Amino acid sequence: MATTAALTTTVPQYSARERAQAAAERAAIDASCRGPVLFFAASAIVWLLVGSVLAILASVKLHSPYLFTASPELTFGRVRMAHLQAMGYGWLSLATVAALLWQMCRLSRAELVYPKLLICAGVLWNIGEFLAVVGIIMGDATSVEWLEAPAYAPPFFIAAVGIVSAWTVAVFRRRREQHVYVTQWYILGAIFWFPWLYLVAQFMIFWSTAAGVVQPIVNWWFGHNVIGLWFTPVAVGTAYYLIPKIIGRPIHSYYLSIIGFWSLALFYSWAGMHHLIGGPIPGWLASASTVGSMMMLIPVLAVAINHHMTMRGHFHRLRYSPALRFTVFGAIAYTLVSVQGSFEALKDFSEVAHFTHYTVAHAHLGVYGFVTMIMFGVFYYMVPRLTGREWASSTLIRIHFWSVAVGISIYFAGLSIGGWWQGRMLNNPNVPFANIVNYTLPYLFSRSIAGTLMTAGHLAFTVLFVMNVAGWGQQRAGGPTFFVEPRSDTARSEQLVGGREA
Amino acid sequence: MTAVDIALFATVIGSIVLFGGAAVLALGWAFRSGQFSNFDRGAKSIFGPDEPIGEPTDSFPDMNDKRS
Repeated sequence: MATTAALTTTVPQYSARERAQAAAERAAIDASCRGPVLFFAASAIVWLLVGSVLAILASVKLHSPYLFTASPELTFGRVRMAHLQAMGYGWLSLATVAALLWQMCRLSRAELVYPKLLICAGVLWNIGEFLAVVGIIMGDATSVEWLEAPAYAPPFFIAAVGIVSAWTVAVFRRRREQHVYVTQWYILGAIFWFPWLYLVAQFMIFWSTAAGVVQPIVNWWFGHNVIGLWFTPVAVGTAYYLIPKIIGRPIHSYYLSIIGFWSLALFYSWAGMHHLIGGPIPGWLASASTVGSMMMLIPVLAVAINHHMTMRGHFHRLRYSPALRFTVFGAIAYTLVSVQGSFEALKDFSEVAHFTHYTVAHAHLGVYGFVTMIMFGVFYYMVPRLTGREWASSTLIRIHFWSVAVGISIYFAGLSIGGWWQGRMLNNPNVPFANIVNYTLPYLFSRSIAGTLMTAGHLAFTVLFVMNVAGWGQQRAGGPTFFVEPRSDTARSEQLVGGREA
Repeated sequence: MTAVDIALFATVIGSIVLFGGAAVLALGWAFRSGQFSNFDRGAKSIFGPDEPIGEPTDSFPDMNDKRS
């Protein structure tokens, strides 16, 4: 398989001078965005840790409800909302910004101008995030899921997102590479959609209040689209950049990748109303959303086929490259969670799964198994290229990968199984409610174990990041750390591309 | 119909026009500027002289160290 893949690709010959020039250009581009990208990345990791602590607290309280009962600040309701804020707008959004800024500079082959203003945007974002999390803990939360931040936090987010979007467009307009790569389409979509979604949702829910049933409609239009039109495009776009780049092979079908982007743009924003199936909204609205959710199979399968076919014959590289390992895990999770999501939107399926832990498992497979894992992947690839330093320890990387991979798998399996039977029992009027609560306890306990494992992984990741940025790691002239030295692989690749000079 | 209702309708209609309009404009621009005319070149645009096709970028110095 590897033979077919390598031989179908025409490899251009470049002189040493051309190579040096291109390397210098890339170095200048990376250097121009180093400050803001590392700032966004570092603060993302801080919120990842805060979110992890809040997550464990919330999880433990579900099976041991008498923990910290004296403290109103640490009640489940507040801690769970604060967890969502810390992870959604702290970790995921800030990591997304770091990834999209770096990739936009690289793909446009343009330097970032006025990087200090972007650092200001990062500071504003962090102030907003701090106010949101502390405000929620202190009891100022709103009752709108995904928009729980108290009224004093959103202005900071809006200002920060505005600057990030404007700067990304500015980099794009200064591009030297005339072709718009598929990752850039995804990034441009995300930076256009997210500020718009956020502003419209704030306006219609808080500033000029839409009455009655329109509120949850706007709420879930926003809530679902944050995932689908902000995190998903950047994460999928990142996979479209990293996978070919790491294995040194173009996307299997570029045509399919473009179809994937435009069909996502067309269908994703319909899907939000499936969160309200069975609720008091017009029937046609939920049905239209179910149709939109099923139509999402088109972009999802386009991406799945493309990533799989690109990787075909190169799966052995998963042994060597941490960045590839995390990214491919995320890409596989994307296919799984999206296909699962399409079927969850069916009304018959919702009858059982809705309002159970099954949905929680699905949500975490999406934001963790898919988005977070791809963000880990891009950090492993990006950070050494920005700091010029190698990752300090491949053992820590291995600990990180296995604890989060096993953690999210336990999480997903436990809550999916427990949640499904919880749903089945809830639909049976003969089963006493207390029995159902007791039935779910072992599954909830498994979630706490999974969360602890994932947090251990996050700590390993934080140590690696701090060591890298502080220059404690060994300095290498070579590429990123490998788990295993791929010498035999190297020899084989060189042979396959026709003995080309390396 | 109150002023609030009008503002909300304007937001919804405005969103539809803006979202849809932006997508149509972007798609039109992409066709006109030849973004969809050569998919092969597009797929290869992320590779360059220092990181060419066929060279894994996560690799050792003795193979193809191009990290700057």
